[in-house]
Amino acid sequence: MIESMMKTRLFQWVDARTDAGSIIRSQLTEYPAPRNLNYMWNFGSLALLVLVLQILTGIFLVMYYKPSAEMTAGGFTVAFDSIERIMRDVNFGWLIRYMHAVGASAFFIVVYLHIARGLYYGSYKGPRELLWIIGVVILLIMQGAAFFGYLLPWGQMSFWGATVITNLFGAVPVIGDLISEVLRGGFAVGDPTLNRFFSLHYLFPLLLAAIVGGHVHALHVVHSNNPEGIDIDHEKETIPFHPYYTIKDAFGVAVFLIPYCYFVFFNPEAWGYFIEVDNFVPANNLQTPAHIAPVWYLTPWYTILRSFESKLLGVAAMGASLAILFVLPFLDRSKVRSARYRPVYRQMVILFFISVLVLGYCGHSAPTATLKLVGQIATAIYFGFFLLLPFVHKFEKTKPVPERI
Amino acid sequence: MTDHADHSRRNFLYVAAGGLGAVAAGATIVPFVGSMLPAADTLAASKTEFEVSTVAEGQLVVIQWQGKPVFIVNRTTDMLNRIQGHDDKLKDPMSQAMSDVQADWMDTEEKRINRSIKPEYLVLVASCTHLGCIPLFKPTEGQKDWGDSVPADWAGGWHCPCHGSLYDLSGRVVNGSPAPNNLHVMQYKYMTDTKVLIG
Ligand code: HEM
Ligand code: FES
Repeated sequence: MIESMMKTRLFQWVDARTDAGSIIRSQLTEYPAPRNLNYMWNFGSLALLVLVLQILTGIFLVMYYKPSAEMTAGGFTVAFDSIERIMRDVNFGWLIRYMHAVGASAFFIVVYLHIARGLYYGSYKGPRELLWIIGVVILLIMQGAAFFGYLLPWGQMSFWGATVITNLFGAVPVIGDLISEVLRGGFAVGDPTLNRFFSLHYLFPLLLAAIVGGHVHALHVVHSNNPEGIDIDHEKETIPFHPYYTIKDAFGVAVFLIPYCYFVFFNPEAWGYFIEVDNFVPANNLQTPAHIAPVWYLTPWYTILRSFESKLLGVAAMGASLAILFVLPFLDRSKVRSARYRPVYRQMVILFFISVLVLGYCGHSAPTATLKLVGQIATAIYFGFFLLLPFVHKFEKTKPVPERI
Repeated sequence: MTDHADHSRRNFLYVAAGGLGAVAAGATIVPFVGSMLPAADTLAASKTEFEVSTVAEGQLVVIQWQGKPVFIVNRTTDMLNRIQGHDDKLKDPMSQAMSDVQADWMDTEEKRINRSIKPEYLVLVASCTHLGCIPLFKPTEGQKDWGDSVPADWAGGWHCPCHGSLYDLSGRVVNGSPAPNNLHVMQYKYMTDTKVLIG
């Protein structure tokens, strides 16, 4: 199909003026991809799909959404009412909003699996260090975008979530109070906060689009890793990305859309995991909900924060737990990439995945003494993974890696 | 005029011009970050009046001051007794840690412990000093009414639902809480016997 399109006179005319043909050939029809990629390699293209969906649905939501915490005659706020109007009166408004709200969670599911793939198969190791680092930047910006977006409906969870997180920055020595005032535009979360969060919620996904471009470019320079984690012969062991992987990615999209549509149409709140129940209550600055917790995708980091008695330590640990991802490629000294051939690393990384799940569970639940202890143990395992990594190559007996894939 | 350029002079000009340009570019950050600070009308401090006699004995009322929530409690003699005798369990029993936990009117030891001008009427900023949630008022003793959200030897006070900080009936933070400080107090004065002016 692409080949016949490229033979048309129209394409030839464009090609003569843009060199589009050589881009298509080098990036798609002749781009060499390892022939043994498994389904864990589908999540990159899925993340791209969800990003496009978020930007598209977001732009349509903005046509009706109003970022104002002013009270209306009905006793609610302009922002809360505008969401209710999108849900009830705007044609297909409910669908676009649910696509956006479910899309946010879908985005994190897909990206977390994408990251887990990179960890398991050692894709963060040389020569892909920078590719990994750009990925961590994407993760941070995504978390920021989701946090800003969650304030917009101006429900109870929106309000108190933003209160807690902006106060977090107050723990930074010396300039902490300044940072939280700059974030909030006042002494408490209020109308100025809503306006600036809306502005940033629009900006961050557009930044993402640009950085994702850099991520894919870096990928096409160093090429994909593969489940065996070995360097491959670019002549003999690859197949062209198009049509082999375009069709496989399209199949992945079809599979992804089944649960996505189930949640959008039948279960958009996902039992309170995607949209928290308290967020259907309008924001009230005089009453904190009985139990406040961030949306599921931020709960692991929230548990790390809660695991420390001292506020400053908690904030520092939470920051460190994300920042440490940047240096991961330099902590791991082993020559073997894939966990398939690294018995010790394999155990470690699986334990690490479990610790993140446990952290997530603890952060979602109301704080009790037992859960606090469990959270502290999981926090120790989380950091232990990174601290042990520089020494593993000294005692790990790796299995022989294959010559060819 | 010679053919040889004076390189040291030229380098100096490069660095000077480049440096000034960088300073100028940096300086443009000031208005942008400055615009994000609270605007003048947000800053305009307001004062709030409140009739404390409207709070029934043993009850808590939450009012607003400068967009922040404020607790007003009318403490019974029993409640005042229950702020005594557990100083060893508090991080800062005499409210000395920082300026926000003390006020000019705290001029006697008794007022530092009661954290109020008149013993019964307690007026406090209602934001947990950890991350700003509004703590829940759990005034009765023990776990009978509150389950295991409070310890067995609970003397009454506040429990923060967010990360479990505990405060006694004077708003003093209990050891082991993530919150670093006692609940903040503010300037206020009695206009009449029962009317306070906060701010
Ligand atoms: C990285 C991509 C994005 C993520 C992860 C994201 C996430 C979110 C989240 C979690 C909410 C709250 C959903 C709810 O509880 O209803 C939200 C709301 C919103 N977002 Fe986004 N968003 C993204 C992109 C965008 C873009 C590009 C725009 C506009 C151009 C946008 C506009 C809005 C609007 C108007 C709302 C309020 C409506 C609502 O609450 O449903 N978003 N977003
Ligand atoms: S905000 Fe109160 S304990 Fe964290």
